[in-house]
Amino acid sequence: MASPLDQFTVKPWVPIEVAGYDISFTNSAAAMVASVIVITVFVTMGMRKNALVPGRWQSSVEMCYEFVAKMLGDAAGPEGRKYFPFVFTLFMFVLAANLIGMLPWLHPFTFTSHIAVTFAMAAFVFIGVTLIGFITHGFKFLTFFVPHGAPWYLLLILVPIEIISYLSRPISLSVRLFANMVAGHTMLKVFGGFVVSLSAIGAAGVAGALFPLAFIVALTGLELLVACLQAYVFAMLTCLYLNDALHMH
Amino acid sequence: MPQLDPAVFVPQIFWLFVVFAVLYIFMSRSAAPKIADVLKKRQDKIADDLAEAEILQKQAEEARQAYEKSQTDARNNAAAVVIAKRDALKAEAEAAYQKLSDELAAKADEAQKRIDAAKDKAVGEIRDVAKDVCADIVSRISGIKLDEKTIAKEVNAKTDAATKGER
Repeated sequence: MASPLDQFTVKPWVPIEVAGYDISFTNSAAAMVASVIVITVFVTMGMRKNALVPGRWQSSVEMCYEFVAKMLGDAAGPEGRKYFPFVFTLFMFVLAANLIGMLPWLHPFTFTSHIAVTFAMAAFVFIGVTLIGFITHGFKFLTFFVPHGAPWYLLLILVPIEIISYLSRPISLSVRLFANMVAGHTMLKVFGGFVVSLSAIGAAGVAGALFPLAFIVALTGLELLVACLQAYVFAMLTCLYLNDALHMH
Repeated sequence: MPQLDPAVFVPQIFWLFVVFAVLYIFMSRSAAPKIADVLKKRQDKIADDLAEAEILQKQAEEARQAYEKSQTDARNNAAAVVIAKRDALKAEAEAAYQKLSDELAAKADEAQKRIDAAKDKAVGEIRDVAKDVCADIVSRISGIKLDEKTIAKEVNAKTDAATKGER
């Protein structure tokens, strides 16, 4: 029987190599492209009428927009508004990736279950936010690591802690999404495997297989929630980091 | 775990950046401004409509106040007219009453005077008769001829006493 982790295998579809680097178009890249197509169709078709009184589809698009706009506004204030397209893109991209990964057909690839991808996004956010911090505040941004009102001898301990916690942000941001997606998909596959192997036993096995099947149904609902929630958390934390960079403490 | 194979890092990260850049350009150039535009238009429309509704409401309120004022004025006018008319009628009735009662009083006085005159006349005639009768009786009984003055004095005293209190 196939391992539950096989679903995470990256398979090259079109092998490409440039200057010694492998940049093959894989099932992972295909899922990324699919996400972009889904988002583009969702937004473009939803907004094609530009109606003053929106229909259901347009309302959904506007809801996503306003959800992210409110999240960014609440977390980072009016100064964060110019980073809205990035946060919106990030949220929609992760959301689309997670939800496409939940599709039961075509064996979709969930690229957010790859630490390389989530870490790349988290690192991009981290580096970008740090640059914004230094551009906005200059070297005063370094005082971000010095807690207010602490005596000097405590600073000897607190400043390294602050720096370590700041540097661990991309790790926690990427691992949170990655681990959630891996855990959910692995669980689904494991219980799916139970259904298959129990059914092979016979009539009693088929009856017994109903239990893991019911569990899969419930778990699928939970995983849909996690898919949306993790996209929200990823975007939300990006907003909070942005707020730290823009306003410090 | 296939995720930990370093061979899958580079192609995924490469395509991630390409695809994400494309999506970002689409979002920032086309989608986000378009949605923002629609939302702003709707917000403006709502604000305009609300402002217009407020103006209309104010006008309606003014019209209502004007109507109520005119109604109050009309009511007050009507009351004033009624009061004036009532007062006029009252005064007229009082004047008529006064006039009539004056006339009646005058007539009563006149009648009283006539009665008094008739009475006085009757009393005077009675005195004359009484004097004659008295002189005649005295002369017949005693043969004394009383002078007129004494008789007149006695008769007047008697008749005065008799008519006293009748007036």
